Amino acid sequence: MSTEKSFAKGSAAPGPVPKDHIRLYSMRFCPFAQRTRLVLHTKGIKFETINIHLKEKPEWFFQKNPLGLVPVLETPAGEIICESSITSEYLDEAYPEKKLLPSSAYAKAQQRMMLEHFSKIIPFFYRIPSAKRNGEDVSGMEAELKEKLGKLNEELVQKKTKFFGGDSITMIDYMMWPHFERTEVYGVQNCLEHTPELKKWMGRMLEDPAVKATMFSKEAHEAFYKSFIDGKPDYDYGL
Amino acid sequence: MSTEKSLAKGSAAPGPVPKDHIRLYSMRFCPFAQRTRLVLHAKGIKFDTINVDLKNKPDWFLEKNPFGTVPVLETPAGEVIYESSITSEYLDEVYPEKKLLPAFAYAKAQQKMLLEHFAKLVPLFYRIPSAKKNGDDVSGMEAELKEKLGKLNDELVQKKTKFFGGDSITMIDYMMWPFFERTEVFEVQHCLDHTPELKKWIELMLKDPAVKATIHPVETHKIFYKSFVEGKPDFDYGL
Repeated sequence: MSTEKSFAKGSAAPGPVPKDHIRLYSMRFCPFAQRTRLVLHTKGIKFETINIHLKEKPEWFFQKNPLGLVPVLETPAGEIICESSITSEYLDEAYPEKKLLPSSAYAKAQQRMMLEHFSKIIPFFYRIPSAKRNGEDVSGMEAELKEKLGKLNEELVQKKTKFFGGDSITMIDYMMWPHFERTEVYGVQNCLEHTPELKKWMGRMLEDPAVKATMFSKEAHEAFYKSFIDGKPDYDYGL
Repeated sequence: MSTEKSLAKGSAAPGPVPKDHIRLYSMRFCPFAQRTRLVLHAKGIKFDTINVDLKNKPDWFLEKNPFGTVPVLETPAGEVIYESSITSEYLDEVYPEKKLLPAFAYAKAQQKMLLEHFAKLVPLFYRIPSAKKNGDDVSGMEAELKEKLGKLNDELVQKKTKFFGGDSITMIDYMMWPFFERTEVFEVQHCLDHTPELKKWIELMLKDPAVKATIHPVETHKIFYKSFVEGKPDFDYGL
């Protein structure tokens, strides 16, 4: 059972997950849920999606995740996994084909440390457009974001690799991608002006099949984001 | 090279890590560094400790961890790992004796989700005593902490196990322990009034050899905390 239209308050709870499948509770435009979708696609995992109306959440969804957030995975055995990075690591461990995390403990730790650094960048993607809308001065935050993106650029310069974990795409590339897909929507693309390696990386990511399978156009993102800021998020935009 | 006294700004950078050892950069009273120390002790790993003056950090330390925080691990090959949960997982993967994380993907994900829930509790341990000191009303925060501790208590009630991952200590118990060691110091011990299973768990933890090897008495914690709150943390107290 896959639905595209989001399930809202008052909707019937979905039945159990069919054998040999895994279910993802998601929202089409959510960057965090996109992480899990990227992993599912790239590993060729059979999955079904139930999109959730995040403003009018169904009561049954809180039984799955008391925090009411996406992404959430559910197995046929009724096992629930929440939090984007936890779902991604779970999938990599449960489905052995096409490993996304490196096997060496240190290389794995390096990917986790990079994700920790990146998680300090994410708030700027939200705070900068928000402050701009309030007519505030964003030059300080933009300078900070440029500095942090500069450090990411340096990583690629030093490693001399095409992606952050080597010359093939690995987990860390997928974990970071969704926010880079949205730089224009958030109005922060100017912060990438002096990060040529990062821009090349983005170009390569855009050629990846899992990215192509999960991405939305700039126009679709902008339409959703506008509806979101206006307080009436159109989770089903485009359907 | 193990030192107890903390190294401050101006100190000479330590040399390379000797073969067959791993080095931990730490601070004797830090609850996050205690997580790594618990794992090192529980797994019987040969390690050296260098304590760092966190108010007056050595420049060489910031080169190891740009976040400037402890714990940090360094291997003889010069590999550096930081962030308490990343160091703990790294150690469990590299040193195969006495596995602390379960082997199954779902059980591992459950431990990570529990740690994520616990991470939301941690700020309350700091904010409550801080607000009390300022004479603010803490009843709201205390109610929140009691509720969250109640949920942890429920986990034990439902699982019917002695520890959070089963009837033996596993990673999640060690990750949570350092904060429970400090409930009296943070003056939140009354928030445990209605959590009998959690109190039993605390008693069991106090008997664990790794906990005994890393614990400080309440009085010692109180003296350090007082010095910390007054702006002159005595990292070497008791030496």
